[in-house]
Amino acid sequence: MNDIIALIIPSAIETLYMVFISLAFTILLGLPLGITLVVTEKGHILPNRVINFILSYFINITRSLPFVILMVFIIPFTRFLVGTTIGTTAAIVPLVFAATPFFARIVESSINEVDWGVIEASIAMGASPLQIILKALIPEAMSSLVLGVTITIINILGYSAMAGVVGGGGLGDLAVRYGYHRFQTNLMLITVLILVILVQVIQSSGNKIAQAINKK
Amino acid sequence: MIKIENLSKVYSKEDNKVVALDNINLFIEQGSIFGIIGLSGAGKSSLIRCINRIEEPTTGNILISNVNVSNLSTKRLRNLRKNIGMIFQGFNLLSSKTVFDNIAFPLKLSKVPKTEISKRVNELLELVDLTDKANSYPSQLSGGQKQRVGIARALVSNPNVLLCDEATSALDPKTTKQILDLLKRINKTFGITIILITHEMDVVKEICTHVAILENGQILEAGNTIDVFSTPRQKATQDFVDQLRVLPTSLDKDRIFSLSFTHNSAGKPLISKIIREFEVDINILSGKIEWIQDKPIGKLIVQIKTDMSTLHLIQTFLKENNVKMEVLNYE
Repeated sequence: MNDIIALIIPSAIETLYMVFISLAFTILLGLPLGITLVVTEKGHILPNRVINFILSYFINITRSLPFVILMVFIIPFTRFLVGTTIGTTAAIVPLVFAATPFFARIVESSINEVDWGVIEASIAMGASPLQIILKALIPEAMSSLVLGVTITIINILGYSAMAGVVGGGGLGDLAVRYGYHRFQTNLMLITVLILVILVQVIQSSGNKIAQAINKK
Repeated sequence: MIKIENLSKVYSKEDNKVVALDNINLFIEQGSIFGIIGLSGAGKSSLIRCINRIEEPTTGNILISNVNVSNLSTKRLRNLRKNIGMIFQGFNLLSSKTVFDNIAFPLKLSKVPKTEISKRVNELLELVDLTDKANSYPSQLSGGQKQRVGIARALVSNPNVLLCDEATSALDPKTTKQILDLLKRINKTFGITIILITHEMDVVKEICTHVAILENGQILEAGNTIDVFSTPRQKATQDFVDQLRVLPTSLDKDRIFSLSFTHNSAGKPLISKIIREFEVDINILSGKIEWIQDKPIGKLIVQIKTDMSTLHLIQTFLKENNVKMEVLNYE
């Protein structure tokens, strides 16, 4: 039993490290990307056909690649960015690469839910586009954005199971290496159980926070 | 003072062109309550939105206190908008912010110091009688309360002009009356010019000092509300302001006239005088007294079965007594 715990704890830490560092970068990149997608649309506050077109296609292309392939495909880019292509930190690059476009689309739909009347009222009050984004769009979409972040965390958690391919470690990798290749079924079960609990906790806390923010 | 000159708005989608506003000219005096009335699709929304350029006019000029809005830079336009309050049919409050923060919103955009914001917002909360709701969220308010928050938000930066986009159309008659009373009070106390668009005749009658009637993107008639209502010049305006004229088809439609009494003639017993002096029978078909900004206008639809020459005499007599007599039907 002690052996199992000794194996699981470092793997769990690796998973949490990968997921939350990736999440931070994903939000940092995906939020502005998603908002840009909305506001550059025709008839919105900063219409720009070229930017909108390029972003939208870039996102679609990135999203059509399966994660395993993406991870290998961007290896040169990963090396350029973090200096190595193996290990937990190296796994973060493809995770962010895969999760950012996904999150951007979620942000896009959350921001699109904001009633146009609120935007119109802000324009009528003399708000600049940046003020509209920061003081009206984001606060109004916050509850929906929190739910989007929740879905994204779970998504990254799912991707991170494949990080073993580049030696990223984590719970998924552990389950495959020990549980599958070495037939340690009990370890496989415990890993799965931990993952299930993790997803439950993330989803229900996300729901609670979103509900507390929602004043509609 | 607002001057609209040759304003047109054309929406074009591919080869399809829709003319929403067709060469509009209007003069709106400082301190007036100017109503723009029309059916849906008449172009009211486009017109009011062109004033603060939420919609871009296709051609024409809009002058607010001699500043031409049509060619302002983005930055100057934003500053100008801070001097034009606007309220909406759907209220358009931020659901994520409290009543207090909604009203404070325009001041925060202008980076006004916190203590000043707090002082000003509390003044406005008092004006619209919502001090006890300062920490509520919009979803906890009734429609009328939401619109009062909208009004407070529109007034918080001391604008010269208030634009009302169907501000009472989503409200019940009683709440509508309260909101209109509030608007009237604001107009009197602060001298703010109010421009409102509506499809409800009652709104215009209740508060507007001036009115313009909009149909298919054109102004049919504009002027002092009492003048337009008592003596509409255009046929379409007449139909619009005077639903009394619609008579049942079964009626004998010979020699039917409409009589309009204005405030200085409404007090005299003119009908009984006509009956006695001209020895005619008068059959009253319908009638009502309308109050336009607390001044009465009497409208009667009558049938007078007598010959041409007597009718002319009656018409002259009525004219001398400030009553306008019009032929509705003569067979």
